[in-house]
Amino acid sequence: MKHLLVIFLTLSLNTVLAHDDEHANLGDRATELKDEGKSKDIHPSLDEIRKMHPEFLLHRRDQTLRQGVRTQRDSLKGCVDCHSSTKNDEYVPINAPDQFCSTCHQKVGISLDCFSCHRTTPKEGL
Amino acid sequence: MNKELNRRDFLKNTTAVTAGVATIASGITLTTFAANDNPVTNEKRWGMLVDTNKLTESNINDMVNACQEENGWGSEIHSTGHQKPSWIKKIKVKDKVTGKIDMLPMMCQHCEHPPCVDVCPTNASMKREDGIVLVDKHLCIGCRYCMMACPYDARSFVHEDLSNQKEHMPRGKGTVESCTMCVHRVDKGEMPACAEAVSSNGVIFGDLYDANSKINQTLRKIQSTQIRADLNLNTGVRYSGI
Repeated sequence: MKHLLVIFLTLSLNTVLAHDDEHANLGDRATELKDEGKSKDIHPSLDEIRKMHPEFLLHRRDQTLRQGVRTQRDSLKGCVDCHSSTKNDEYVPINAPDQFCSTCHQKVGISLDCFSCHRTTPKEGL
Repeated sequence: MNKELNRRDFLKNTTAVTAGVATIASGITLTTFAANDNPVTNEKRWGMLVDTNKLTESNINDMVNACQEENGWGSEIHSTGHQKPSWIKKIKVKDKVTGKIDMLPMMCQHCEHPPCVDVCPTNASMKREDGIVLVDKHLCIGCRYCMMACPYDARSFVHEDLSNQKEHMPRGKGTVESCTMCVHRVDKGEMPACAEAVSSNGVIFGDLYDANSKINQTLRKIQSTQIRADLNLNTGVRYSGI
């Protein structure tokens, strides 16, 4: 009985941890950076970026459009650049159902409207 | 020295140390981010001088094409006739008495007192500190009051779903758009695409306030005009030769 309990607890803990750290589809560039161990340079705290990214983007958009402050930090372009993935040598739109942005937003029931205007793939061409 | 550290001293010391660290830290943060984070100011006023005598019809076509290429408009397939966006267009003006024909490019005139900004109910139509008039599409509800208010017919409404927009120029159905004076290029220190497309001095872009700029010096010397100057909008785009 005790053994079973230990196995059960280990399994459930694994599931929790695995769910916490892994993302279904991180995107090509982001996966590279993560493998190189550089992801912390871009997002020092995962919790922060997960919770606060709407605020960062909102703040950045007003600064960029209205005040002409154009830095890479917290720009939507930056998100798309790293978190897009390729299929058959072509970029998949980042708002497609199984892509980086949509996986979470679908899960939590957020309909996002960035990409009716913003480009869904990095730059022009590949 | 066997001075016992009491609670009051401990707190005093700790506070002093913490404050010191905070000051240093904030100093570093400020210096690190100050480099790229300078908002535009009203010390500049971007403007353009179009000399119609130096522009041929093909020059104007080049300007329109360059704008389309740069900003990604003009390939809308479902929009018909007047629905099609036109950020910049070729206008033909004919003097009925003499029959003299002038061709000129017409786009947003980037007024100092823009009527489109006055009428916008959501503050989406806006003027930057450096005089560039833009639409904040995040706030635009597509009411099109600004299109009616604009004396130059410079604005367009996007009637259809778009994809594959330019990375630097988001555009979408249900919002109004117009010439941005290639704001993304200007912020990088470059010229608008239309001005760059004309190799002659037909279009001069620059800072109207800067006494050393080519546009300022040329405007001092030659006769120029604002279209519908009677409206007192003080446009940023000026014309000579008409």
